Amino acid sequence: MAADLKTDVLVIGGGPAGSMTAKWAAQAGASVLMIEKRQEIGSPVRCGEGMSKDWLHDVGIKPGRWVNLEVEGARIYSPSEKVFEINEKHAGNEVGYVVERVEFDKQLAIDAANAGVEVRLKTAATGILKENGKVVGAKVKQFGTTFDVRAKVTIGADGFESQVGRWAGISTNIAIRDMDTCLQYRMTNVDSDSRYCDFYLGKVAPGGYVWVFPKGDGLANVGIGVQVSQVQSMAEARNYLDAWIAAHPGYAKGKKIDMVGGGVSISAPLKQTVTDGFMLVGDAARMIDPLTGGGIANGCIAGKICGTVAAEAAQTGDTSKAFLDKYEKGWRARLEEKLYRNWLAKEKLTTLSDATFDKIIDALAGVRLEKLNVHNILKAVHEKYPEVTKEFEAFL
Amino acid sequence: MANKKSLHIESSGQLCIYCGACVGICPLNCIYLDETRITFDEKVCTRCEICVKACPVGAIEID
Repeated sequence: MAADLKTDVLVIGGGPAGSMTAKWAAQAGASVLMIEKRQEIGSPVRCGEGMSKDWLHDVGIKPGRWVNLEVEGARIYSPSEKVFEINEKHAGNEVGYVVERVEFDKQLAIDAANAGVEVRLKTAATGILKENGKVVGAKVKQFGTTFDVRAKVTIGADGFESQVGRWAGISTNIAIRDMDTCLQYRMTNVDSDSRYCDFYLGKVAPGGYVWVFPKGDGLANVGIGVQVSQVQSMAEARNYLDAWIAAHPGYAKGKKIDMVGGGVSISAPLKQTVTDGFMLVGDAARMIDPLTGGGIANGCIAGKICGTVAAEAAQTGDTSKAFLDKYEKGWRARLEEKLYRNWLAKEKLTTLSDATFDKIIDALAGVRLEKLNVHNILKAVHEKYPEVTKEFEAFL
Repeated sequence: MANKKSLHIESSGQLCIYCGACVGICPLNCIYLDETRITFDEKVCTRCEICVKACPVGAIEID
């Protein structure tokens, strides 16, 4: 029986959202313990490894050796493989880096450790400690030994399969139309173009897309997300991905050297992410962008707010839900509108036929959009295929 | 509940890649992932089969 621990802030999970939360809490003067159930921060990877870059400076992340390469843009392929190219000029840095997540996650954990965070590996939360309905820490297990960590503020950053949030009494359940089942191969000897991240829409990936994120020298992450509500049979993500690869000679000739999978939430924002003594952040809080499936930026942006509020709460001694609502309001002000808008767009896009996708991409491929936004896209489509935009009246 | 269907999660590593997709989607929170094993609570599970669909590699079977 190990001795129990005390800390101002306990962060459960050492992914990007956890490390950012921990770092910002420590920088604001709190004592912080971050626990990670695995033996290595960043591994195994569960990610396509593409991310935008305009947000990094705001949250204090400096580009480092985790940057694999910088792309010029993204190419969206319709089912008949008409192409719409999005570049930085009109996408506002929505595209950016292809990264090594193992290195990225480690860099963020190093930044947290350098800010004073204590990091413990092989340490899993096995339950939450509650007193009078308030979360006061967690029961943890390290190297087979169980002990209590008492914390003024406890933070769940335990990813898509989050248990901690549910233990704390926050509903993180999502509908099957709000989740993608994903699989990805890292492939070598493929014909990816290092200038672009590629996305393939339509029935090749029902309710989701196939992605190709280049890593240079003929290496690329080739993956798929399929909306769970559209899955008909077992192993469908793998079957669709294998079929896509087989149909594309530039990829069929490649060799697989790695395989990762995972669930991605594509839901509207949760109603609640804080309770007395407790906050939820990142994928665990369903902060993933429902349109792109990207979770890193939002997790880090919310993590900075979460860590700052956690330190303030620990220092003032007020760790009530009412105080922690500052985090709830903070992340919503920054992210909620876009999350909700993209969720609505996702709800619509997941119902479109291949023929409609073809028309939309065909219309967009033929024009030069000054700025990429829903209004401009719909206007361009309306000019060529007015019947298509009828389906999108809600967005106009 | 003697007449529940049988659910089998293949988590010896033959099929399962320990991605946690089933854990995160389970509406009853009755699937558990530790580093090398996935288990579920036989009593709580209603055999809704959502995890079967969520598994990207077909490691969960029901019959």
